[in-house]
Amino acid sequence: MARILITDDDAHIVRVMSIWLSRQGYEIMTARNGREALEVLDAGPIDLVLSDMNMPVLDGLGLTQEIRKRGMNDLPIILLTARCDQEHLATQLLEYHAQLAPKPFIPSQLVEQIGALLHAAATS
Amino acid sequence: MRSYLSSLARFLRAEEIPRWFGLSVVVIYLVGLATVTNLGIAGAQREGTAYYRQSARFALAQLACRLGQQFGEPEERVKNYEHLLRNFAAHVPVEVLRVTDGSRIVASTRASEIGADPAQVSSVTAHASSAWTFQLPLNDLTAETKTTATAAWRLVAVLPTELPLQGGFSAYAGILATVLVLLGALFVTYRCVREQLRGVSRIAHRLETCSHRIAEDLTALRITDTNDGVVRAWNELIEFTEQLHGVAEKNEANAELSQALLSSGNDSLSEALNAVPDGIIHIKNEDCFGFVNTAAAHILGWDREAYRTMKLSTCVAEGYGSAVIQTLRDSLRSDGVFDSHTKLITPSGDAANDTTYRLWVLPLPRDARNGECVVVIRDVSQQIRTDRAREDFVTQVTHELRTPLTNIRAYAETLSSGMFDDPKVVAECYNVITKETRRLSRLVEDILSVSQLEVGSISLSMDRVNIRTLLEEGVRDVSGLADEKNIDVQLVLPSKMEPIQGDRDKLAVVINNLLGNALKYTHENGTVVVGFQQTHDEVVLTVKDNGIGIDPADHARIFERFQRAPDPDALSQPGTGIGLYTAREIVLQHHGEITLISKKGSGSTFMVKLPYEPQRTEPPVSANR
Repeated sequence: MARILITDDDAHIVRVMSIWLSRQGYEIMTARNGREALEVLDAGPIDLVLSDMNMPVLDGLGLTQEIRKRGMNDLPIILLTARCDQEHLATQLLEYHAQLAPKPFIPSQLVEQIGALLHAAATS
Repeated sequence: MRSYLSSLARFLRAEEIPRWFGLSVVVIYLVGLATVTNLGIAGAQREGTAYYRQSARFALAQLACRLGQQFGEPEERVKNYEHLLRNFAAHVPVEVLRVTDGSRIVASTRASEIGADPAQVSSVTAHASSAWTFQLPLNDLTAETKTTATAAWRLVAVLPTELPLQGGFSAYAGILATVLVLLGALFVTYRCVREQLRGVSRIAHRLETCSHRIAEDLTALRITDTNDGVVRAWNELIEFTEQLHGVAEKNEANAELSQALLSSGNDSLSEALNAVPDGIIHIKNEDCFGFVNTAAAHILGWDREAYRTMKLSTCVAEGYGSAVIQTLRDSLRSDGVFDSHTKLITPSGDAANDTTYRLWVLPLPRDARNGECVVVIRDVSQQIRTDRAREDFVTQVTHELRTPLTNIRAYAETLSSGMFDDPKVVAECYNVITKETRRLSRLVEDILSVSQLEVGSISLSMDRVNIRTLLEEGVRDVSGLADEKNIDVQLVLPSKMEPIQGDRDKLAVVINNLLGNALKYTHENGTVVVGFQQTHDEVVLTVKDNGIGIDPADHARIFERFQRAPDPDALSQPGTGIGLYTAREIVLQHHGEITLISKKGSGSTFMVKLPYEPQRTEPPVSANR
């Protein structure tokens, strides 16, 4: 079963996505910021990272860069942002093969998006 | 008659005269000329005639004597008579000369008359005054020849009706006429010339009389009663001189103003300019600074006296001064004229924290060749910061609004999906929705307060407020965040707390903001203490935390609208920069005050003092700074 890492400093977001994704049968790992997320990544294999953009210590962009630096180029990453001035990052994130998704979001749609990414990663 | 005389006077003065007068003068002159000429000629004629008569009578008498002395046979005598008569007629102009013997004409210059009866010749009887008769005296020596010669032998001379004029007389008349014509021509010429010069003579006359007034009143030199070409040109010259005079006066005034600008010291204009907070520089041309006011000298780092000898091309300055000088040099065209220009100068590049100046280069259009301009330097840092902060605020507010909305939406979707029927999960959803909704509504209230404060329309609805309840509710509202970060929130309240007059909801906002900040900027496992004291005229609420603290340099700034402490630890937390601004405004509306004790790294203590009852006599203090 796919392992998904949910990273957000807002515990409610982590909680609600955990509820939805574990319902789909995924195994859920959580982290509160980018650095904790890297620790989890180092500890074991992860199939997809769902992360907030704005977090203390290490934010979403930094986390993405670190992940790619570690050679994990096939790991799908979705970054959530509530800010309106970060749309320009979408093009930048394309370089890192990461996707940007807005907040607020509809959980069912996000779950679908995650499913599609995992499927694509598995078949490639 | 009077009008004729006045016209005559004007004529002599070579002024305009009526046409009838001119014509009459010409007529009179011609008539006079003709009369004089005729008189001359007539007189000459008369004199000539008189002279002729005298001479002719004498000559005829002599002729008669000679005729009488002729001897010989009648045939011969007649021939002699004819000879003599002809001789005489050749030298003296007579019409007819004849000799009669009483009954018939014996000899005559007119051959056809000879033998005729003298009484029948018409010229004898007519014009008796023009026919003279002379008796021929016969010679007494020869009595024999006295045949039929009687005293009846006569010499008759018929004078000519017209005598040719003596050459001398006609010459005199001719000369007289010529002289008169010349005089007439001279006079007319004189009149024409006089007319031409009339304008000039008026000018000369006016100059003579008014020369002492030229300095004050140029218009006195105008001539208004004459309108020929010269006078018109003169009047135009006067006008032009007046204009030049006006321009010269204006230039004098401008020079005085420039002088005023130049002189530093006790001059009131330069004093006024020195009091202006904007920097003002007057540049006369690319090589000369006219005036630098105190503010400009301060900004540029120049000595106020040093600029007098500076040249734009060679002067140096540091910091802002060098940027100003560089901008001026860039604005200077190759022909020495400045282009209009405006520029923002932030030498350090950090517009958020450093002073930014806006520079205006305003060329003076007076004389484009001069390359004169005025430079204005204004501190626009506040404006820049406010604009920047407002942008940040909008971004931040969007983010802050979206965060609770995200949770509300996600949990609402979870509920409505029907997929999760675990009662614990359902309860959790409702809790989160409720909490986040409250957080969202408080944020909206904050934003609303800020816009009300901006417009100046905040109004308090005063009521009795129980501080204890207020504080307890406030602490409860932030309990979620406190639990998350495991921060201990303590309420230290005395047993007896007096109520105050205030706006309950607004004061709740104040407390929520202060508590929210305390929790936000305190690390996990920190402590927040809420205290309360009362004196006889006011109450004091304190919110004390042991969080990241605030550098004293930023104490004033964080109360400003949209401003947050420029501290990375603080900025890592979400915030809109309006919490403390709103809180202070509300407290000021209550005629209270907020004070802060804090140092970086050692927590913050916020103290809110509120009177029991805000004074009604004074209007609320608005701190829209």
